[in-house]
Amino acid sequence: MKATIKHLLVCAAIITTTSTTAAIAAKPTPDMNKVFHYQFPVAETGFDPAQANDLYSNTVMEALFEPMLTYDYLARPSKLAPRTADLPVMSEAGKVYTFKIRPGTLFTDDPAFKGKPRELVAEDYIFSIKRLADPKLHSQWRYLVEGKILGIAEAIKTATKSGKFDYNQKIAGLEALDKYTLKVTLEAPDFNYPYILAMPTFGALAREVVEHYGIDIPAHPVGTGPYRLDKWARSSLISLIANPVYRGHVWSYTAQEKGDEELVKAMQGKLLPTVGRIEIAIMEEDQARLLAFQSGELDMFQLEGPLAPKVMDGAVLKPEFAATGAKLSRIIDPEIQYPYLSTRDPTIGGMSKERIALRRAIFLAYDDTEEIRIVHNSQAEALDYPIPPGVVGYLPGYRSVNRTNLPLAKALLDKFGYKVGADGFRTTPQGKPLVIKYTSRPDSLGRQQEEMWQKTFNAIKIRMESDKKKFPEILKAEKACQLQMRTNRWIADFPDGDNFMQLFYSKNIGQSNNSCTDVPEYDALYEKAMVMPAGPERDKLYVDMARVLEYYGAHRISMARARNMVMQSHVMGYKKHPILLADWLYIDMEKPKGEKQ
Amino acid sequence: MSSFILRRLWQMIPTMLGVVLLVFFLFSFVGGDPAYLLAGKISNKEQIENIRTQLGINQPYYVQLWIFIKQILTGDFGVSWATNEPVSHIIATRIGPSLTVLIPIMIIEAVLAVLVALGVAYVRGSLTDRAIMVICTVAMSVSLLVYIIIVGQYVLAYQFGWFPVQGWGESFSENLFHYSLLPILLGVAVGIAPNTRLYRTFILDEINQDYVRTARAKGLSEHKVMLKHVLRNALIPIITNLMIYLPSLLIGHFLIERFFSIPGIGREVILAVERSDFPVIKAITVYVAAATMLSNLAADLLYKAVDPRVQLK
Amino acid sequence: MTAPQYQASPGLWTLAWRRLIADRLAMISLVVVMAFFALMVASGTGLIAAKWADEVAVGYAPPSLFGTPATAVKNATSVSTTEPAENLYPGTVKDPLADEIAELKVQLGAQPGGGAKSSVGAGSTPLNDEIDYKDLDLGDLKVVDPIGAELAEILATTTAAVEKPRVDSLPFGADKWGHDVILKVIKGSETSIFVGLAAALVATIIGTILGAVSGYYGGWIDDFLNWFYSIFTAIPYLLLILAIAAVLNQKGVTTIVMILGLTGWTGVYRLVRAEYIKHSTREYVQAADAIGASNMRRMFIHIFPNVSHISLVQLSVHTVGFIKSEVILSFLGFGVPVDKVSWGSMLGEAQNELILGYWWQLAAATIAMAILVTAFSMFTDALRDALDPKIK
Repeated sequence: MKATIKHLLVCAAIITTTSTTAAIAAKPTPDMNKVFHYQFPVAETGFDPAQANDLYSNTVMEALFEPMLTYDYLARPSKLAPRTADLPVMSEAGKVYTFKIRPGTLFTDDPAFKGKPRELVAEDYIFSIKRLADPKLHSQWRYLVEGKILGIAEAIKTATKSGKFDYNQKIAGLEALDKYTLKVTLEAPDFNYPYILAMPTFGALAREVVEHYGIDIPAHPVGTGPYRLDKWARSSLISLIANPVYRGHVWSYTAQEKGDEELVKAMQGKLLPTVGRIEIAIMEEDQARLLAFQSGELDMFQLEGPLAPKVMDGAVLKPEFAATGAKLSRIIDPEIQYPYLSTRDPTIGGMSKERIALRRAIFLAYDDTEEIRIVHNSQAEALDYPIPPGVVGYLPGYRSVNRTNLPLAKALLDKFGYKVGADGFRTTPQGKPLVIKYTSRPDSLGRQQEEMWQKTFNAIKIRMESDKKKFPEILKAEKACQLQMRTNRWIADFPDGDNFMQLFYSKNIGQSNNSCTDVPEYDALYEKAMVMPAGPERDKLYVDMARVLEYYGAHRISMARARNMVMQSHVMGYKKHPILLADWLYIDMEKPKGEKQ
Repeated sequence: MSSFILRRLWQMIPTMLGVVLLVFFLFSFVGGDPAYLLAGKISNKEQIENIRTQLGINQPYYVQLWIFIKQILTGDFGVSWATNEPVSHIIATRIGPSLTVLIPIMIIEAVLAVLVALGVAYVRGSLTDRAIMVICTVAMSVSLLVYIIIVGQYVLAYQFGWFPVQGWGESFSENLFHYSLLPILLGVAVGIAPNTRLYRTFILDEINQDYVRTARAKGLSEHKVMLKHVLRNALIPIITNLMIYLPSLLIGHFLIERFFSIPGIGREVILAVERSDFPVIKAITVYVAAATMLSNLAADLLYKAVDPRVQLK
Repeated sequence: MTAPQYQASPGLWTLAWRRLIADRLAMISLVVVMAFFALMVASGTGLIAAKWADEVAVGYAPPSLFGTPATAVKNATSVSTTEPAENLYPGTVKDPLADEIAELKVQLGAQPGGGAKSSVGAGSTPLNDEIDYKDLDLGDLKVVDPIGAELAEILATTTAAVEKPRVDSLPFGADKWGHDVILKVIKGSETSIFVGLAAALVATIIGTILGAVSGYYGGWIDDFLNWFYSIFTAIPYLLLILAIAAVLNQKGVTTIVMILGLTGWTGVYRLVRAEYIKHSTREYVQAADAIGASNMRRMFIHIFPNVSHISLVQLSVHTVGFIKSEVILSFLGFGVPVDKVSWGSMLGEAQNELILGYWWQLAAATIAMAILVTAFSMFTDALRDALDPKIK
C-alpha cells in the first residue's frame, strides 16, 4: 500500500519539477491592462481561512493564501502537486508526513510587517493549523484536524476549559524540524491527509498579521498567493491585484484528455500570472449573469441550470452562442445527490423485509432521469455509484439494482401487504396509516425536487407530507436523526472515494452521516476498507458496500450535476478543475481588455 | 413646538420597546437554532454547545433580552454571524447605494404622478379620467415588479444596449448617471400607477374643500384654482406620504437591487434572511422601525410648518 | 338589508345598493368577481380542474391557440439523453482499473456500452433488465439481497406498463411538467382567492374587534391597544413579513393566511376605532345604556351595524392586497406547498421561463390575476363611494 501512494506522489513530483526550476529563474510580469471579469452567484463572507466556510470565499482565498500543496491542473482524476512545499515524504505507514517548504516564498507587503519582507516558514503553517482548532473562531473546519493531528484534540479540550487557546503551546503532531521542514504526525494512518492539507483552509497566515488586525482579520487577507486583495466592497465587488512579490508559477502540464492539447499549445511554458487584475462581482440573478456575459461585461461565468436551455444544447453550446466565439468548459462535479430514507426511522427504518421492500419500492418508483431533464434542465449526469466521476474509486460501468421501475415498485408494495385503503392511499401491512415526510429547503430547487417526489409518491399511492425547513434546521434535525427522507448532496472535499464512503458509516452519525444510515454489514466492510489505500482491493470492498446500501434501500445515488463555465473567446488556457476552486489562476487573456467606463 | 417634539420622542419609547420585544420574541422563540448553521457540515455536540455559549443563546431569556436592549442603546449590534462584519458597518455602507437609486425614483415618480393626477383631476369624471384610472388599476394589479425588471433589463439593457446590464462602481456620479439609470427608470415605471391614483384622491379631497369653492366664486380661473390653491394644499399630504414611506421603500426595492447587483440594504436583508443572519435582520428591523417613527414625526412637523391651521397635540 | 324596518327613509345599505346598481362599471366588476368566486367554489369542490396535476402534454408544450413557436418546441424536446460515462472522458490516461471494471461488468451483467441508467426514461419501462435480481452472487462478493427471491418472483409475473402518450401542444400550452396551463390557472385561482379572502377575513375580524374594544372603552385599554398598533405600524410591512419568514419553517396555506392576517389588521383597527369613538357618545348608544343593554350588546348589536360598512370595504380592500402579497411571498420562497398551486407559485416558476421563450404560463397567470384584481379594485372603489358618499 505504501508503494501505491508513493507512486502517486512521485508522478506528481515529476510533472512539477520543471515549474520549480523555471520559477526561480524569472519573475512574472503581470499585465495590468489585462483584467479578468468574473462573477459569483452568492455573496462571499470574508477571507479568513479558519472562519470562512463558503465556496466563494474559499475560491478567493485560493488566490490569496497558499496551502503547502495544490493539484495538477490537467491530471484526471486529480493529482496532488507541490505549491509552497514539495510533495511530502510519508512514513510510519501513513501516520507521518514531512513537508519541505521551498525557501524564498514571501508574504505580500502589509503594515503589520513594518516594511520588512517576510518569508514563509514552517511555523506559519503550524500557527495557521492551530487557528482551526481555536474554539473562539469556531472554525467549521475543526473536524479536519481534531482527532486527526496528534495533540490537537487535547489542546481544544484545554482551550474550551480555560476559554483561551494558547498559540505558544507545542502540539505533538505539528513539529518544525527546522525553518523550512514541517513534520505532521497523525493519530492514525490516513492516506488522504495530504489531500486535506491542500484545501484552501490550510493556507498560511502570518501570526503578526493576525495579531495586528484582531477581529477584523477576514478583511485583511495577507498571504503568499499570486494575488492580493486590492479593493473589497462586501457582497458587491472583490478586486484582486497581482501580488508584486509573488514568485510566479509556470504553466507546464501534460495533456490528458481530449481538448487539452489546445490548452497546452496556447499556454505551455508561460510564467503566470499574466493577468494583472481579477474583478469578481456578486450577481445573484441568473438573468443578470447571462446578460452581463453576453454584453461583454464578464469574461467568464458559471451557467446555472435554470437558464441552461438558453445557452446549451445538451452538453454543448448552442450554435448561435458558439458563433460569438464563446467557449465552454464542462465537467461533472465531484458530487453525489442522493435521496435517502432513514434506516433509523421508527416507521420506515429497520431491517425487516417489509421495511426494506417499502424503501426499495420508493426508490424504484423514482425517475431520476426525469429530475435531470426537468429540474436540472439536463445539466446533470445520472449516477449509480456512491463515488462520482473525477474522484479516485469511481466505477463508470456500475449500475444500481434500484433503477427506475414503477411496475416493480407497485408489485413489491402489493406483495409485502401495503394495501391501498379506502382513501386511495396505502397503509402499512398492519393496516396503520402510512405517511412519509419529505424534507426540503424552501428554495426553488427544493421545491422542484419536492414536486418530483410528490409525483412519485402519488404514482405508488403513498401519502407524502411536505416538510420545508431552512438549512440550519435541516442540519440540526439530521444530527439528531429526526428526518425521514431528504435529497442530500455531498461534494468532494478531496478526490478520494473515502470522502464519500464515510458518509454512510454509522459511527459518523451526528457528524457527516446526515442520512443516519445504519447498516451493520456496511460498517463491517467500511472498517476493513478505511485502512486500505486506494486500489482494486479497496474497490472490490466498495462495490460490496454500494450493493449493501442498495439492497437495504438506504438511499439511491441519483446524480451529479454538471458545471458549465462559459467564457469569452479571448480567455486562454482555462479548463474547469474538479477540486481547485480558483482555477482561473491558470489562464491568460489574449489581448488587453480595457476597463469598461 | 419643542415641547411637542419632546413629547413625541418620549412617546416613541414604549413603541420602540414594543418593537424590541416583538423582534426578540420572533427570533428567540420562533426562530431556529443558529448554532448548527455556524458549526458547518460536520460538527459534534460539544462544538454546538460552545457556539451557543459564544452567541449567548443558552443564557436565560431575560439576560438575552437585556443584552439585546443594551445593544440597541449603544447602537452596537455586534457582528454578522455570517461574515463577522459589524452590523453598524453593514447598515452604514449599504444605505448609500439604496438611497442613490431610491431618491431619484421618488422624486421623478412624485413629479410625474402629481402632473398626471393634476391633469386627470382637472377633467375629473370625464372619459379620460376614468380611462386613466382604469389603466392605473390594471397596471397596479399586474405591477409585479419582477416582470417589469426582467423585461426591462433584457430589452433595454441587453437588446438595445442603452444601459449597462448591471453593476456598481465606486464614484457617486458613475453610480448615479451610469449604473442607476435603468433601475431608476424601472422603479418609476413600477411605482407611478399606484401613486397617480393616490395623488388623485388627495387632489380631489382638496377640490371639494370650501375654500376652493370660495376661490371659484370670487371668479378665479380654474387654472389658477388648480395650481395656486388645490395643488399647493394637496402637496402637503403628498409630501407627508412620501416621507412616511421612505423607510419601507428602502427595503422595498430589493428586487431591483438584486437584478442590477446594487449593494443596497434591501438586498442585504434578503441575504440575511437566506443566511439566517439574525443580528443583521434584528438590527435592520429595529433601525427601520425607529426611522419610520422619526419620519412620521418629521412629516407632522412639516405639516405644521406649511399649514398653520394644523394643531399639534 | 340590515337597516331597521321601521325607518321611513331608506337605510344606509339600501341607499348604497341603489348607488351601486347605478354604476355600470361597478356592476360589471361585480359580475367578474362573482364569476371568479364561482370558479373558486367549482374548483374547490372538484367540479372543474380536478385533474390539473395530470401530465397530459410534453414539457413546455406550446399554446396552439396562438401559433406554435418553433424554437420553443425545439427547446422543449432537445433533451440530451445521458451519455455513457466512459465516452465523456476518453482521456489519454490508461484506467488503472480497466481490467477490474471489465471483470465487474461481466459479473454484474452490465451492457457493453456500460453507461449509467440512460435507457430508462419516459415511455415504457423495461422490466427484463440486464440485472438478474434473484442472483447477485458476484463471485468473491458475498453480499446477499435480502428480498432478492421476492423480487424475482414479482418480475416473473409483472408485465411492463406503457405510459399514456403525451400531446405535443395544448390550446393554452403546458408547463415544464406537462400540466395543462389553463387547468393550472383555474386551480391557482382557487388557492389565491381563498388565501386572499381568508387572510382578509382574519385581518378584518381582528381589526374590527380590537378597534371596537379600543374605541368603545377608551382609557387604558385603548392606550394598550394603540401601543400594540403602533408597534405593528412602526415596522414596514415587507420587513415584518421577511422577519417572520426568516424564523418560520412550515409553510402551508394556513401559515400564509395567518402571516398575512396577523400582520395586516392595523388599517381596519384604525378606522373602526375612530368610528367607535364617534359612536359611543351618540344618543342612541346612551339610550341603549339607559335600557340596560350590556357593553357587548351595545358594541356589537347597536353600534356595529352602523360601522359595518367600514369593515366591509376594508375586507374587500384587503382581499385584493393579500392576493398580491401571496405572489410576493411565493417569489420569496414562502409560497404554498407543492401539492397546491397558486398564481404566486405559477409566477414564481415563470420567472426564468420568460427569457427562455416560454411565455404562456406567465401570461395565463398574469391575465387571470389582472382581471380579478382590476375588477375587484374597481368594485371596491365603487363600494366605498356608495357607502361613504362624502368622499366623491
